[in-house]
Amino acid sequence: MKKNIILCLTLITIFLLNIYGETFCFQLRAKDYLNCNYPQRIISLGPSLTEELYLLGIEDKIVGVTVYCQKPPEAKFKEKVGTVIKVDLEKIVSLKPDLVLVTSLINPIQVEKLKNFGIRVVNFPPSKNFSQICEQFLELGKIVDRKKKAEEIVYQAKNRVASMRKDIKNLPETKVFIQVGAKPLFTAIKDSYVHNLIEFAGGVNIASGAKSGLYSREKVLSQNPDVIIIVTMGIVGEEEKKTWQKFKILNAVKNNRIFIVDSYIICSPTPVSFAEALQEIINILHPSKRKNE
Amino acid sequence: MNNTILEVKDLVCGYRTFFLKDISFKVKTGEFFGIIGPNGSGKTTLLRAITRVLKPKKEEIYFEGKNIWQMRLKELAKKIAVVSQNPGISFVTVEDFVLLGRIPHYKKFQFLETKEDLEIAKRCMALTDILKIQDQPVGEISGGERQLALIARALCQEPKLLLLDEPTTHLDITHQTKILDLIKKLNKEFKLTVIMVLHDLNLASEYCNRLLLMSEGRVYKIGSPQEVLTYQVIEEVYKTVVVVDKSPLSSRPYIFVVTEEERQKRGEKRKI
Amino acid sequence: MNKKVIQWIIWVLVFCGILLGISIFSLCIGSSGIPFKKIISLIIEGKGTTEYSIIFDLRLPRIILGFAVGGALSLAGVVLQGMFRNPLVEPYTLGISGGAALGVCLNIVLKMNRIGGVLSIPASGFLGAIVVILIVYSLSTRKGLLKIQGLLLTGVMISFISSSLIMLIMALSRTEDLHSIVFWIMGSLEESSWLLIKVALLVSIFGLIISYLFCFELNAFSLGEEEAQHLGVNIEKTKRLLFILASVLTGCSVSVAGIIGFVGLVVPHFVRMFVGADHRILLICSFLSGATFLIFCDTLARIIISPLELPVGVITGILGGSLFVYALTKRGVVL
Repeated sequence: MKKNIILCLTLITIFLLNIYGETFCFQLRAKDYLNCNYPQRIISLGPSLTEELYLLGIEDKIVGVTVYCQKPPEAKFKEKVGTVIKVDLEKIVSLKPDLVLVTSLINPIQVEKLKNFGIRVVNFPPSKNFSQICEQFLELGKIVDRKKKAEEIVYQAKNRVASMRKDIKNLPETKVFIQVGAKPLFTAIKDSYVHNLIEFAGGVNIASGAKSGLYSREKVLSQNPDVIIIVTMGIVGEEEKKTWQKFKILNAVKNNRIFIVDSYIICSPTPVSFAEALQEIINILHPSKRKNE
Repeated sequence: MNNTILEVKDLVCGYRTFFLKDISFKVKTGEFFGIIGPNGSGKTTLLRAITRVLKPKKEEIYFEGKNIWQMRLKELAKKIAVVSQNPGISFVTVEDFVLLGRIPHYKKFQFLETKEDLEIAKRCMALTDILKIQDQPVGEISGGERQLALIARALCQEPKLLLLDEPTTHLDITHQTKILDLIKKLNKEFKLTVIMVLHDLNLASEYCNRLLLMSEGRVYKIGSPQEVLTYQVIEEVYKTVVVVDKSPLSSRPYIFVVTEEERQKRGEKRKI
Repeated sequence: MNKKVIQWIIWVLVFCGILLGISIFSLCIGSSGIPFKKIISLIIEGKGTTEYSIIFDLRLPRIILGFAVGGALSLAGVVLQGMFRNPLVEPYTLGISGGAALGVCLNIVLKMNRIGGVLSIPASGFLGAIVVILIVYSLSTRKGLLKIQGLLLTGVMISFISSSLIMLIMALSRTEDLHSIVFWIMGSLEESSWLLIKVALLVSIFGLIISYLFCFELNAFSLGEEEAQHLGVNIEKTKRLLFILASVLTGCSVSVAGIIGFVGLVVPHFVRMFVGADHRILLICSFLSGATFLIFCDTLARIIISPLELPVGVITGILGGSLFVYALTKRGVVL
């Protein structure tokens, strides 16, 4: 009986949302047409979206992913439909999806074409901070009928993040330079979740005031960070570390605090992976508080 | 005068570094007119002015009384044909090359050559005796044959005036005489007016009715070969010692080159 | 009917046949694997099914756009090579692609597509192309005479300047904008608006018809400018009109499909090796070959590493370049 009431209430909410759908959508910045049927065949065109679908426990509804969707490992066995940037429309159409989730990296012409086929496309623009990551996760949960599960996961993640922040609240702030790209040198500026990670971890992002992510090594030297975090895959990270180590005047070099972090942890965030990444960064910035997980 | 086919009045034209000045002359219908002069005297420039490639200060060149600058280029091409020194392309057959001369005669939306065009081309090739090589690519025939092809192409334009720019330079004696005889025949039998730029003074003397001698961008002398080709004139313009005598065959002036050796033998009797 | 005309008709039929064959091949092949027999039944009675949609809404537009763009670029290549008498000239040498790319970059970065909608990017590409054309043209015209060599050099310089400006914009732009710019530059026959495809087709075919008004002039041009004038060709007027024609064809193709190189350079040479240099046959055969070539390359781009798609410009470059070098060594090039 209770279940039926909840179902009715949900249906009424959705009905109301339908009427005020536009304003709601605008607020969340997700473009889509709300309808009453929940999707049964979902194609995800973003690694973080794929991961989130698995978190929500509806991986059996996924009929297509990109070649970059490799977390969790089971996702590698799903049908591939292209890359994050460009997809094979024919493949997608022949898989007969009723929902396609895209990121802002996708070619807009392809989105148009999918819509022309009458396929529902929902766009998840990049999140600027943790609370937006959570909001989008909740939105996704609502779309696929896993609202409750989504709320649970977000609740847990928020708690975890809050407790981590509390833990390090009174520790001194560390000046951090986080490098997300090499050649050209790229960092994360304000209004990105990577910047958010640093803030939450008790660090001060020396590039927070910059207008663009393109940074000069000279500027880094003049700002003299205590910690340098290099986010990258493979050999490039090692080479960059060696390059930084040539500048002996840097605090980070003097105290040997240059760290390489796997980009998978930091890119494509979900509420859960954000918390994990935060743990890793806290471990780096505050070794005294290192927790083994 | 109604038998003047071409009239040039006070022509001033040229480039930044070299200018033709005050060129005036008339060419009569049916004449074989030669333009001679040392290198750099402006012969080719003059030819370019007549064919509208160079724009003069005052546009006063008249063809049969009409100012050529007021005619449409297509009209002009039906009246004046030019045989230049370089054929341009090398991979079409001689027949196609000659057919290019019919372009001024094609009507607005005409796409293929008419029977008439093909016949005219055949006739021109027969006249120049190149029918036997009509299917060979232009790049594979000899220099002399190429020159004949150029002439055939010019003839396809059915012009009234034929302009030739040094048609016999680079050719052997056989082809030189063949071509010049052909042109003379066209001039006499078909009443085609010919204006030819020549280097070889003796050939000019033999074939032309009148000569125009250019020097440093100006007209030095116009007249019959006897009047123009005297040793004083040649010394003055070409700055070289020659001996001029009458040809034993045609009574036209014949110029003998005097080598350094000879000059020394006769001990510098004449000052240069 | 003489021998030459018969030969020409045969060539046109052969090229049409190849074009048709490749188009059907392209229509039948794709990552969703619809078997050939099914296609025929689909065409007759399959309206409304997904497979019908795939064939007619996904594959067919690409084929039609490939026809339009491939034909237009090859045609522009023939016209320019005829005008310049330089075998290395192609539609992009005049800087038109640089201008179009710059226009699109500015549009994306200044977010002008909010105003214009889906047509704004091609429109800005075309505008950029026109601006460059005007600059190049006015810089190469002295005393009303269009200097061919000047056109070439100015075009190349403007190309370099545009590339540098584009790289500057790319360095300063945000990630999302950067992606859009790169897509566009890589070139693609995927276009969502039927209107644009129809416009491209119209411009292409119209261009072909107009080029035929100049077939004799182009033949005369191969003798040299001076010689062409001796034959009664108004070289200034002809140069100007041909330049405009080539520019419009290129500008339109680039705005709709991005930068797809090599087609305008390689196809005319290739076709010339077979049909000769008379523009009356060269124009139509280059058009058909260019269309065939681009449709073929696009099909390969779609299926080689499915579901990933290669940029079609990569295939045209590799395939076109290698085929050409092979043919050069075997037959000897005819220019």
